Amino acid sequence: MPPDVSVRNLVKHYVVPERAGGLRASFRSVLRRKHRLVRAVDGISFEVDRGEVVGFLGPNGAGKTTALKVLSGLLHPTDGQVDVLGFTPWDRRAEYLSRITLIMGQRQQLFWDLPAADSFLVNKAVFGIDDAVYTRTVDLLTELLDLGDLLTKPVRQLSLGERMKVELAAGLLHGPRVLFLDEPTIGLDVTMQQRIREFVTAYNAETGATVLLTSHYMADVKALARRVIVIDKGRLLYDGALDGLVQRYAPHKTITVHLERETDLPDLNGQAEVLSVEGLQITVRAGKDDAPEVTGRLLTQLPIADLSVEDPPLEEVIDQVFRGERL
Amino acid sequence: MIVRRATLAGALALTRAEVADMFQYRVVLFLYSLWEVVHPIVYLAVWGAIAGEGDVGGLRLSDFAAYYLTFMLVSHVTAAIEIYTFGPMIQQGELSPHLLRPMNPVWVAAARNISYKSVSMLLLIPVWIGLVIILRPAYSVTAGSVVLFLVALVIAALLSFLVGTTFALLAFWTTRSFSFWEIWMGLTFLLGGQVAPVELLPGFVQNLATALPMRYTLGFPIEVLLNRLDPGELALGFALQFAWLFAAALIVRAVWRAGIRQYSAVGA
Repeated sequence: MPPDVSVRNLVKHYVVPERAGGLRASFRSVLRRKHRLVRAVDGISFEVDRGEVVGFLGPNGAGKTTALKVLSGLLHPTDGQVDVLGFTPWDRRAEYLSRITLIMGQRQQLFWDLPAADSFLVNKAVFGIDDAVYTRTVDLLTELLDLGDLLTKPVRQLSLGERMKVELAAGLLHGPRVLFLDEPTIGLDVTMQQRIREFVTAYNAETGATVLLTSHYMADVKALARRVIVIDKGRLLYDGALDGLVQRYAPHKTITVHLERETDLPDLNGQAEVLSVEGLQITVRAGKDDAPEVTGRLLTQLPIADLSVEDPPLEEVIDQVFRGERL
Repeated sequence: MIVRRATLAGALALTRAEVADMFQYRVVLFLYSLWEVVHPIVYLAVWGAIAGEGDVGGLRLSDFAAYYLTFMLVSHVTAAIEIYTFGPMIQQGELSPHLLRPMNPVWVAAARNISYKSVSMLLLIPVWIGLVIILRPAYSVTAGSVVLFLVALVIAALLSFLVGTTFALLAFWTTRSFSFWEIWMGLTFLLGGQVAPVELLPGFVQNLATALPMRYTLGFPIEVLLNRLDPGELALGFALQFAWLFAAALIVRAVWRAGIRQYSAVGA
């Protein structure tokens, strides 16, 4: 089976006008406009198989949204090939648009003053959804998203979280096979974020849809995607399992020991670095290869009440990746 | 051009939702459209004062009343609002959600146009009837002129919509599409049968008005209804109106395609 999404050497550059602040710069820019080339996406390649959930990670301005916009057909790339479900996205053929959806956390496609049900009916007609399918889909989405009576209230009276749920439902009425979700939980409280995550998981399980999502929230990615694609400054830094990311970018382990009584630290032979000593708790960092030996030495030479060996938290790993450092 | 069945159904559903949406703003709508009723009264007052008890170029006060009362309805039906509705959508990046649906977003502009006019027309008609009773226009219409008028009116509305959409689409390139629109409005004011019926314009200007598209969005249907044209002028008028409609359709399509290319190149 060919992959649902195939991206080869995708490049998207923008030319943006640029000028300094102030009146003089303003006059100068009338005569001579300066432009700057922004390499939003600079040669990335990846594939996504049917039914996969892939997290797109990257700091602000990494090129995540740009990539999703190219994939959904809103942007024409500067170079490279993209194939989604056998279509070239930016041709924006009706057959293509009926099979995908792009949901942006901050965009809104609903009529503000009308109940969402009215916007749903517009989508039903535009996508040519047949009555039986429509009823079934609305029922499913109402159940999964707990929409209750939200559909009959004017959209302007919904809370941000409620609106996001309704937006999601509106974007899924036509039963898309591929979902592009751009920051689907942005600005939502923790409970609502959790709810949206559960929904995406359930929807993926229920329909087998392929999901590509971007998020700032590590929790989103941890909960949803086993595979992550990390991009920064338009370049692909990592593509693989979430666990592998930690393995690769965090070649250290953190060893924490609780002592039974105070005592001097043994010689660690330069294999580990002491991060902190707080009362009876000592935290050291050791290279992955040295960790077993360091652990052994600590166990034999110290009066230990408890010991744990951990990978550094994912947030920290990602942060290091973006700063171009290795732990 | 083949229009998908889902597109037509979609446009219809969209129009229905837009009408429901418009009703939320009925007071604002009423005030907006009231302007369209009031400003022809100004032209009527001026021309009425000039004509006095006599006539101007064969037009008496009651003829001017008929002209400008018809003008009220025609200018409302053919008003292009796209620079206010569609242009800002492009500028503020609200086009993207619409581009993700399998329907050209120009249908969104069309739905808004139709819903605005149908809702505000309901509010305007009573005012208009009141004015007819007060001003006693000299309507010498025939069944034939009414039929031809309706045809000319529909084409005028379509032409005007396409022109309005073309100017709105300039928002893809410039944040100042209003300036271009102002030029068009100025030309319509002079040559479209607004400040004066085209037949009263001096020879050279009248020829210009006959050739250019503005008259076919506004003055021409009025002249048809009021039987102001001989058969030759009528045939020429319809031929030119059709020709401009065809040209406008080609232009709007070309501008849309170029605009979308620009939009998807610089960032949606």
